[in-house]
Amino acid sequence: MSVASTAGSGAPGAGSSPFDRGRAERPPSGGARRAFVAAAVLGWQTEANWADPLVFVLFSVAKPVASALMLVVMLDVVSGGAAGDYLGFVVVGSALWSFVQSGIAGLAWGVLDDRERYRMLKYLYVSPTDFAVVLLGRGVARIAIGAMGAVVVLAIGVVVLGLPFDPWRTDWPLLLVVMAAGLATVVAIGMLMAAVVLQTRQESWSYPDAVAGSLFLIVGAVFPLAVLPTPLQALGLLTPLTWWIAGVREALFPGALSAIGGPGSLFTALSGQAAPTSGQIVVSLLATGLAVTLVAAAIFRASERRAKDRGLIDLTTGS
Amino acid sequence: MTSRPEGPPMSPWASAEWSRRQTLLTNLRTVAGRAYPRVIGAIREPSWVFFEILLPFLTTSAFVFVYRALKAPPDYIGFVVLGGAMTAFWGNVIWSMASQLYWEKDQGNLELYFTAPMPIMAVILGMAAGGMFATSLRALVVLGAGAIVYGVVFSVSQWALLILVFLLTLAALYGLGMMLAGLFVLWGREAFHLTQVLQEPVYFLSGLNFPVGRLGLVGALAIGLMPLAVGLDAMRQLAFTGSANFGTPSPSAEALILTVMVVVFVGLARWLLATLERLARAEGRLSARWR
Repeated sequence: MSVASTAGSGAPGAGSSPFDRGRAERPPSGGARRAFVAAAVLGWQTEANWADPLVFVLFSVAKPVASALMLVVMLDVVSGGAAGDYLGFVVVGSALWSFVQSGIAGLAWGVLDDRERYRMLKYLYVSPTDFAVVLLGRGVARIAIGAMGAVVVLAIGVVVLGLPFDPWRTDWPLLLVVMAAGLATVVAIGMLMAAVVLQTRQESWSYPDAVAGSLFLIVGAVFPLAVLPTPLQALGLLTPLTWWIAGVREALFPGALSAIGGPGSLFTALSGQAAPTSGQIVVSLLATGLAVTLVAAAIFRASERRAKDRGLIDLTTGS
Repeated sequence: MTSRPEGPPMSPWASAEWSRRQTLLTNLRTVAGRAYPRVIGAIREPSWVFFEILLPFLTTSAFVFVYRALKAPPDYIGFVVLGGAMTAFWGNVIWSMASQLYWEKDQGNLELYFTAPMPIMAVILGMAAGGMFATSLRALVVLGAGAIVYGVVFSVSQWALLILVFLLTLAALYGLGMMLAGLFVLWGREAFHLTQVLQEPVYFLSGLNFPVGRLGLVGALAIGLMPLAVGLDAMRQLAFTGSANFGTPSPSAEALILTVMVVVFVGLARWLLATLERLARAEGRLSARWR
């Protein structure tokens, strides 16, 4: 750091309290963890303390529940109440989408809130903690809200719509692994979106929803990939969210309808299998998730550098 | 700004008394002035084309594929495309109309609006006019691209009524937006959260991708109260003549419902804005930011 070398060579004002080069070079242990926790608490308070808890929960679950109900009614209109396996397929996909929407929006809106509304981004940026750590903390709060929505949608699916959920048949280890890897991927995509909104201005608030909505098309959340044109199916197979949702479906309802395989699907044409096995799902999720995470990290750092270079960090645009 | 009369300086009292012409011109200039940044802003940063047109089109496509997976009749794919186009207007109403005064408060502009010599209704009308321009473009692209890509065939028998219903729907939607804008002046952060809640639940209750009549009593209530529900249902009946009807009123009756909504929403918006401005002044909320 140039600060350390300047101070070390006798910078003005260093006489009475000598500059400790070691402190600058070695941040206190646990600093990142403390910053992450503080950012997560702040994020939660920003999201949650505007209303009493009941109103807050109702507001938080209204969006995912309405999205799921819209799909359920669409199914009902066409199938006349005989949707069978497809009902569970749609409910699980909708529930998980709540994580994606909140995860992507959480990190991007963290940047926008602090830049455009609270005008604190520049102060956060010059604090000793890594900016990415602060953003991750802010994003965690929104993911927690997404989790509430997902749980409520699944509960409605089981209790009201009669999905055949059996905890004894659930593949808990698979669920644990795919949820951990899937959520890490959601956070990585959120970082990617935060990198985008660091650069963009007008109407950036709607970008996370737009990106989540477009991903919705290719990940088999609410319909099997086989109905898509082959290039879009290929794109879907390269997206970790596809494997995440497939993994959770397989864990919760073993042997249920697959979004990835089946007649007319690219996966079946390439592998000759009707549906991927649990092992294939986990390996594909880890491989694609790792690739997305690395790309997201690289783009985030590049975006940070460009924002600093062009003076975008403290440029409030009124978007 | 108003034109200053030539000649010797007038007394403050005389200056404050505007002729009807001055008032009308100021209002029209206000509308044009507030619409201007929305129209220009839409052109100035081209990234919005990607985020505001292409990506929402992909979202609409997802629902088309749901119906394809279910092997639904072709009209249902048309319903989704029409619904996808109309979501652009609803999004604009809640994000750029209803919550706009709340954003302005956060940015410190709201007090400037209220101290300027023009009615806030003219400002809001300008926001609506400018917003409609950019949003109509997005809706047209979604509708056109959807029709071409997914082979949607519209069978319209009453073009005049369809256009009338569309215009009435826009007027009712933006009237509702004006009304909500008044409420949002008074509210703090809850306004932002309410904006989010007004998306998917409204899409569901309006029968965005399916005939709203399918919701039974809830659908009937939606037709009586929500401009998106009644407008979409009427347009669906007019654009897909012969498609299944789920017991909703005829398009002419729905046009009448929309007319009543326009009158009620715009009237309520006027009253609410005046009342809530007074309340906000009394409670010191006009300039209370970041609440």
